[in-house]
Amino acid sequence: MIYRTVGQFKTSYRLDQALFPVRQDAVLLTIILVFAWIIFPLTASEFAFQTLLIPILIYALAAMGLNILTGYAGQLSLGTGAFMGVGAYACYKLITIFPWMNPIVAILLSGVFSAIIGVMFGIPSLRIKGFYLAIATLAAQFFLVWLFEKWAWLYNYNASGAIQVPNLEMFGVFVSGPQAASVTQYFIVLAIVSLMTVLCINLTRGNQGRIWKATRDMDIAAELIGINLMKSKLTAFAVSSYIIGVSGALFVFMWRGAAEPNLFDIPLSFRILFIAIIGGLGSIMGNYLGAILIVGLPVVLNIVPEALGLDIKSATVEHLNIMIVGALIIFFLIIEPHGLAALWRLIREKLILWPFPH
Amino acid sequence: MKHWKTLAAAAVATTVGSAVLAEGLVTPNLSYRTGPFAATGIPLMNGQKDYMEMLNARDGGIGGIKIDFTECETGYSTEKGVECYEKTKGEAIVTQPWSTGITLQVLPKTNVDEIPILAPGYGFSPMADGKTFQWAFNAPSGYWDGASMIVSYLDGKDGGLSGKKVAFLHLDHPYGKEPIPLFEKKAAEMGFEFLPIPVGLKEMQNQSAQWLQVRRERPDYVVMWGWGAMNAGAITEAVKTKFPMENFIGVWWSGHDADLALVGDAGKGYKSISWSFPNPDAGVMADIQKHVVDAGKSLSNADEMSGVFYGRGVVMSMILAEGIAAAQAEFGTAEINASQLRWGLENLNITEARLAELGMEGMVPAFSTSCANHTGNSGGWMLEWDGSKFVKASDHLVPDTSDYAALIAEKAAEYATANAPWPMNESCDAPS
Repeated sequence: MIYRTVGQFKTSYRLDQALFPVRQDAVLLTIILVFAWIIFPLTASEFAFQTLLIPILIYALAAMGLNILTGYAGQLSLGTGAFMGVGAYACYKLITIFPWMNPIVAILLSGVFSAIIGVMFGIPSLRIKGFYLAIATLAAQFFLVWLFEKWAWLYNYNASGAIQVPNLEMFGVFVSGPQAASVTQYFIVLAIVSLMTVLCINLTRGNQGRIWKATRDMDIAAELIGINLMKSKLTAFAVSSYIIGVSGALFVFMWRGAAEPNLFDIPLSFRILFIAIIGGLGSIMGNYLGAILIVGLPVVLNIVPEALGLDIKSATVEHLNIMIVGALIIFFLIIEPHGLAALWRLIREKLILWPFPH
Repeated sequence: MKHWKTLAAAAVATTVGSAVLAEGLVTPNLSYRTGPFAATGIPLMNGQKDYMEMLNARDGGIGGIKIDFTECETGYSTEKGVECYEKTKGEAIVTQPWSTGITLQVLPKTNVDEIPILAPGYGFSPMADGKTFQWAFNAPSGYWDGASMIVSYLDGKDGGLSGKKVAFLHLDHPYGKEPIPLFEKKAAEMGFEFLPIPVGLKEMQNQSAQWLQVRRERPDYVVMWGWGAMNAGAITEAVKTKFPMENFIGVWWSGHDADLALVGDAGKGYKSISWSFPNPDAGVMADIQKHVVDAGKSLSNADEMSGVFYGRGVVMSMILAEGIAAAQAEFGTAEINASQLRWGLENLNITEARLAELGMEGMVPAFSTSCANHTGNSGGWMLEWDGSKFVKASDHLVPDTSDYAALIAEKAAEYATANAPWPMNESCDAPS
């Protein structure tokens, strides 16, 4: 019905390989983009910006970075939180050393530092695989968080050891710090996340993406057909860490406003890994779905009892919340072990065939 | 697909828009009754809540208007804290952020949102400078007050501090690092050796490495800035390594009865500086018993209510209630707004006579705040564990505030420059 593909003829290879071979997908995406770019900014409250829209986008971006490494190139990493931290601290140092620097440039540049560190910690991946590699990236996690605590230069010798985002201006408008309006920050985050998403889609569909997938599926076979494994793995680490670093800079500069070292500790890494796994490894859209489930849903659940006028204690709501989200994660993984993206793919296929299932 | 986001946001837009209207004055508390710090959080939250419930039941609120003391659960997570802040700020006349991390996040927003922060006994020490931090209050005592009192107390013992060695066991977190600048300054002036020993968040429950260092260095005193599981960890380790308990002193957050009850008699002599003291015989406790506990509205129990932390929670709510009352008297209206409450908190005058009137004799020292001084520097008492409960081990101690006034001014100015443009309250005199 809705997904009827009848009459959509592909007359060239180019058309068949298009990003959206089915017209309805393109329409759906347009609707979502209209919502993201026009309707949300006009209607959303401060609360919705700060607790739903901005964090979902940032977490989705971080998960996308991890997905490049784990989902596409098959290298398991537990150091995501620390790489986000590298991005955040790099951005902080850039902004404080060069106060004239455009904040968006600083955010995009800070990913470079994260990429360099990512490649350094990616070198062991040339020798070790799977769970053993996860342990090696865990070392990055512990080392970097320790460094954020001990290296006082990183936080400009602040007595409390935390970094605080200053008020930054761009063309006369505050874009970060307490003076910035949420809607400005939302647009910046949305623009950067959209840019990165387009970049990732094209990267993973193109030559480089195929190299990564070959590495993931069977690295010996990939090597035999002439793929340079070292290059493949290290580019995956570099691209992944770059995106994660940018998301870390956004995380602190466009959302949190302040950060202490233990923010980037292992719970953050796990959270992003869960988003990537539940959303679907090896998928771009899955990161958004995962972020909505893990980051957005608890916030929405938290306000449900109050909106319904039920008098439940705040602590009880929190406990219920943890139970509901946990149960949902298990439920989704049972009905589709490959994540929400695969679930959507299934629904979509059924919709195309509907009402004539075979 | 992304349209889930659409649904979620649409749901939020409608629910937030139609949020339940406030009944009375909204004073949200960003509580943590769940998570790793819940054990220390619950008695404090119960004390705060019960005092407000008592006022609502006994006097019909403050100045005839009910207090809506809602709690928003954070689990001590900064992320949840910001969520709660955004959720409550629409109607709130005050924010009680409850963790140094959340305070750091919310503090820069105060000038924009114009809602006062009340952080009794925690938060950023330079918040004492009311000229810079117009909207933040950490009455009755800041961490530098605590550090100053500990140093002067130790100096009064066994021939002074000169030439002694003081180990500083602290949580490696903004909170634990807070007093270091003052200790370093005092160490240089008074000629004692200051040795910071950080405890990482992951090592809170297993401090064997830190206590090995204590044994090797043989400090004369150990001063502790711990919280949550770290306190119990440190106290049990100290007992295990046979560190003399009378030379072990904690800040007020390290004086939780339940932590000491774990070691019982072995903890005898452990001290904690405190600006509050539980007084089960006080009039206010009887009123809480009558109006809240007997009415079945309390979440607390008799054992907890006799503890230091419950009493402190009561004192915290008293500070807020007095601020509200002061503002109501000044502006002649019961329904005060956030900036009127700011005036009230700035003009607190808690005298001994007022404490007696409130039925809170001996639960907190007298103090007063002003435009320039948002802390009040009440001073406090040295409490000592006698094997089953905390008892007062000293007279009323007062911090030497002149000693670090320059430090406060310097750090406050640093903060203001880092966060420029930062509006100052020019109507205040220089901070004292």
